[in-house]
Amino acid sequence: MNDIPKIHSIKKTDKETLLKWYRILFLGRTLDEKAPNYLKQAIGWSYHAPAAGHDGIQLAIGQVFDRSKDHLFPYYRDLVTNVSAGLTAEEIIYNGISKDADVAGGGRHMSNHFAKPEWNIHNVSSCTGNHTLHAVGVGRAIKTYEGKGVAISSQGESSVSEGYVYEAINGASKEQLPVIFVFQDNGYGISVPKKDQTANRKVAKNFEGFKNLRVMYCNGKDVFDSMNTMLEASKWAEENQKPVIVQANCVRIHSHSNSDRHDLYRDDNELGYVKEYDPLAKYQRLLKRYNRVTEEEMQAIEAEVAEEVKQAHRKGMTAPHPTPESIHDFVLPEPYAAAKYPDGTHNYEGEPQKLIQGLNETLKAEFRHNPDTYIWGQDIANKDKGGIFNVSKGMQQEFGKKRVFNAPIAEDFIMGTANGMVRYNKNIRVVVEGAEFADYFWPAMEQFVETTHEYWRTKGQFSPNITVRLASGGYIGGGLYHSQTIEGALATFPGVRIVYPSYADDAAGLLRTSMRSEGMTVFLEPKALYNAPKAATPIPDDYEVPFGKARTRREGTDLTIFTYGNTTHMSVEVAEQLSKEGLGEIEVIDLRSIIPLDTEAVIASVKKTSKALVVHEDKVFGGFGGEIAAQITSEAFEYLDAPVKRVGSTFTPVGFNRTLEAAVLPNNQRIMDAAKELLAY
Amino acid sequence: MKKTGIFYSFRSVKTGQQVKKIIKALGAEVEVVDVDIMTGEDFMQFTNYILAVPTWFDGELPNYWDEFLPAVEDEDLKGKHFAIFGGGDQKGYPENFVDGIGLMANFLEERGGTIVGFTSTDGYEFEGSVAQRGNQFAGLALDIENQAALTNERIEKWSQELKKAFK
Repeated sequence: MNDIPKIHSIKKTDKETLLKWYRILFLGRTLDEKAPNYLKQAIGWSYHAPAAGHDGIQLAIGQVFDRSKDHLFPYYRDLVTNVSAGLTAEEIIYNGISKDADVAGGGRHMSNHFAKPEWNIHNVSSCTGNHTLHAVGVGRAIKTYEGKGVAISSQGESSVSEGYVYEAINGASKEQLPVIFVFQDNGYGISVPKKDQTANRKVAKNFEGFKNLRVMYCNGKDVFDSMNTMLEASKWAEENQKPVIVQANCVRIHSHSNSDRHDLYRDDNELGYVKEYDPLAKYQRLLKRYNRVTEEEMQAIEAEVAEEVKQAHRKGMTAPHPTPESIHDFVLPEPYAAAKYPDGTHNYEGEPQKLIQGLNETLKAEFRHNPDTYIWGQDIANKDKGGIFNVSKGMQQEFGKKRVFNAPIAEDFIMGTANGMVRYNKNIRVVVEGAEFADYFWPAMEQFVETTHEYWRTKGQFSPNITVRLASGGYIGGGLYHSQTIEGALATFPGVRIVYPSYADDAAGLLRTSMRSEGMTVFLEPKALYNAPKAATPIPDDYEVPFGKARTRREGTDLTIFTYGNTTHMSVEVAEQLSKEGLGEIEVIDLRSIIPLDTEAVIASVKKTSKALVVHEDKVFGGFGGEIAAQITSEAFEYLDAPVKRVGSTFTPVGFNRTLEAAVLPNNQRIMDAAKELLAY
Repeated sequence: MKKTGIFYSFRSVKTGQQVKKIIKALGAEVEVVDVDIMTGEDFMQFTNYILAVPTWFDGELPNYWDEFLPAVEDEDLKGKHFAIFGGGDQKGYPENFVDGIGLMANFLEERGGTIVGFTSTDGYEFEGSVAQRGNQFAGLALDIENQAALTNERIEKWSQELKKAFK
């Protein structure tokens, strides 16, 4: 630690600063000690992870954080960090007892998750260390826009056991980003001692071999050592545009949280010595020992804090709760108003373009339209290669490496840094190839889920403006990891739009709308159709398709097939065949958007034909078709002349052998059989 | 032997026992000082120092030392000789074994003090220590958690070395 300048010490630091710090520390401790009382009185604050024992480093994080240029990602133990960064007692209590006035998000997130997005103090997940990827994403934006400041990720040492934390630090090291990862080491992940987390007692040592990364160690229980270390970390990261790890030794004086009993796993000796390490008591002793402040001055601050907390408590108790009807607010932001083609249809008669061409040209057009647009993913750009299927071909050449670039093979990193980067500027739109194939998206699921929460959890303060492109589906002989379609699973999460075009024009139009909208859209691309002539269509240059607008692919009177993606083409073919055979006129509705679903079009068509067949490539069991069928039976039962039937994959993985694949995936014959069965009613 | 003091926290019973053994082995007049209450002036009165500096937590000075050091951080310690001993746990904290000794030694040397009483690292198994200087510790490392049986012998041998180092 000799290389860290000793800017602050009990003798050097000016009295005004010492008193300011004392006020912060005492206010933080007062609130920390008051929190459990709210639970005892059944008022709230049911989750409280005490900050006591982390006071030194938390004071330092908050003091070093400059909201005019930095981004702070505090974790659920960071009460003092937030107070030090400027949150008032009132704001802390509103969050603690989950009132509507809570600046983090109006009581939507768990208590003790303090934040103030307005100040770049971000509202983070309860999944420990999950926000490291967001900090790296913001760090990337700071570097890209040549901005000032740093991103600070604050977290417990046990969070570093999470794989995504490794991905984040690896990425920050590779990209040389101004990010500070603060590991507040209190020795435990709830009751799990750090020896059960990793081999090194100081987990930062695991990263000492990383290039471009500076690792600092400090005593997180000591105000001065913590301040000096954080000041140096911030200065160094900003000046050198490189990441820093600060490992701060802390103690956890109390249990992990109010649902934990630390006396079950810590002996009396340990419980005694952690109290002896109390950073606040140490600071008080130092102030007195070196005669920096008088007893009276300290008492005056304590009285002032007591009054402030008393007033804040009163305001908190009388502040309104969020209303039940507000739950539907801020699930998704309003999308881009695709007004040029309000129904998402056109009469343009140009040369047909393949679906892949439609995607490529729309991506390029949108990159020209919005200079704050970025795309990254695996295999996205290397010389003449642009994506595993060449969807992004030529983009890096035209838009440069800052806007179009490869990501490490780390799907969660791809998603998580997108979530982070878009926080920097509301104009930013990020497109990610979430995985080379949709089947590989699962490692990114924790960031996907996290991203679906953001807008709602922050009460509309943060909208992750991301389009997640995924090459999806089978019929290519790809087996279990190259042939599945995953919309059924993704559609269970509120907070994301999901679109699944079948034709080139819709692919182009939906992509434009996605890239211009706020919020996250999953854009599923039926890769079997990328180059298929049957999916090629003319595409107007300015084509845009609104979300939630189904498209009638074939008019009919005797049965409606509701479908999307690969099976749209099969359904149209079957309908034509049945018509030729004189067995009936089938209407084919291409849903295009799964979320939002065009329920109005679905019900209207059922009313018209009185029979419904839902066809999709995903599994019938648990597939999204179940939702469509349920909505039909619920909203249009009296119009039905037959049961709603579904055709899709078997409830098995997709086999690699062509015989197996054919046995699993839906095809024309299965659709035909089901249609005939329904027509016979 | 010039004015010699032995400094430790009187609250630490185990260290108190070790101090008694050192004083006995030295067989000379040594003033015993309680670190918890001493001032910078108290500290500066000596020429030869024996400091009891156990390592707390993952390689930290005990609070009583940490909070005292600012009192002498601006002093010139040239001409003074310091011997440091302290407890550590080479199995429980192998990465920071007796770091306290090293932290104290660094502080004193940065202010002109001379460290005496180096001991060999032979016989210990650890991974890292701020106290390590080549194949020596900058003082006497005691480990009553894992090598209690060696403590008396180590103290005796070290004390004899101090007799030569202190003038």
